Amino acid sequence: MNTQPSRTRSLLLPTMFGLTIAGVGAGLWTALTSSPDVEQGNFVRILYVHAPSAWLAFLAFGVTALGSIGWLVRRKLGWDRLAEASAELGVMFTAIALFSGSLWGKPVWGAYWDWADARLASTALMFFVYLGYLALRRATPDPVARARRSAVLGLVAVIQVPLVYFSVNLWRTLHQGMTVRPDGVQLGDSSMVTALLVNLAAFTLLYVTLLLARIRIGPAEAAVPDVRPAGSAVTAPKLGESR
Amino acid sequence: MIFLRQTWAIARRDLLIEGRAGEVSAVVFPFAVVAVFVVPLASDTLAVRLGDLAAPVYWLIALLFGMHVTLRQTGSETRTQRRHLVLLGIDPAARIAGRAVSAAALTFALLLATGPLVILFYDPEPIPRLWVMVPTLLLFASGLSLLATLAGDLTAGLRARSALAPLIVVPLAIPLLVGASQVLESLIRQRSTLTGTLVLVLSDLALAATVALAARALEEATT
Repeated sequence: MNTQPSRTRSLLLPTMFGLTIAGVGAGLWTALTSSPDVEQGNFVRILYVHAPSAWLAFLAFGVTALGSIGWLVRRKLGWDRLAEASAELGVMFTAIALFSGSLWGKPVWGAYWDWADARLASTALMFFVYLGYLALRRATPDPVARARRSAVLGLVAVIQVPLVYFSVNLWRTLHQGMTVRPDGVQLGDSSMVTALLVNLAAFTLLYVTLLLARIRIGPAEAAVPDVRPAGSAVTAPKLGESR
Repeated sequence: MIFLRQTWAIARRDLLIEGRAGEVSAVVFPFAVVAVFVVPLASDTLAVRLGDLAAPVYWLIALLFGMHVTLRQTGSETRTQRRHLVLLGIDPAARIAGRAVSAAALTFALLLATGPLVILFYDPEPIPRLWVMVPTLLLFASGLSLLATLAGDLTAGLRARSALAPLIVVPLAIPLLVGASQVLESLIRQRSTLTGTLVLVLSDLALAATVALAARALEEATT
């Protein structure tokens, strides 16, 4: 009886890993076999990576805020680990979204980067805000102080996520409007819609798997006593010290 | 009422310290003036119209030096000082509010002093209804000071504080910058300034609400 939860827990990650491999495979297959876009041609396939990455970044930062609230209310380090893991993944997905967006922008818009695009600029700022969040975590050695400080920043930082999401509606911008709207998915034909949705599911599975794996690493990381980086023996000379 | 009295006491303390130390007036302001001179010196003034650079240079100075004002050395509290305030029963939100009020007053003064210099040396297009910029700058200074006070508390006592606090403040201050620069742009183009003002007011309110909610947790983290 007692071994049941741990067995379930130990099976969860391999199961998720298997599902993710299958999902990513299916995503790749649908992305490569769907019809090319009338205007963008084969460059539309980049969007099957770009759009799910951007969605997952929003989800990840939302989960970071949830973890922050969870920590502030319950004061359990598990919530802080959830916030940390999700923020790291959010930064990763934001970087993928920015990079793939730039790759797509060059042939379609004629430029890798356009300052007139509100979504692009605000996403880049969101990326830097969460880099700051991760830097704050890294700079705070005590786990409880780290959890307290980063929970506050996690809550402040999430305010701008809706601004980034709705920036395409709030400002005049080059970026296309929302792809998924209440009146349907705004894409060419059904194979493109399928490819987008399958990739969204695959990226979500990837996020959940990586999140579980990262949360599991957390306690082991905390157990490592005072890791000193290579080269830390070399220190700056102490000013004002007599020989 | 007690909250307001405590807020005023903290703000007054910070302003008195600044009055004695003169860090903003003797260090930050001259540094900002040097920054005003750097851009024309680094540009080919025969090819570039400096008037076009006036607004971007002003907002850059407002953001970076406004942040400097809040994070100034004489304005930072030690852990012992913060513990004393806790023992005295000062509301953590009042402590942050008081610090933000004093920083906002100093930032506002810095922005008011730097503005005419930028107009004088860059010769931008005339700005109709220039007085509208006074409340706009006050809203901008309030939001920036709240944000920088929050970042200062989040990074209090950390070795990387001097680099980490600006990394937190600058990207989060962009809505304030967008709002304030939209007001200026609207004045120049003689349009309604409502959108920019609304962005500023909403950003300030969101920051104030977050500070009120997070004040207790911040106090625990820094004492």
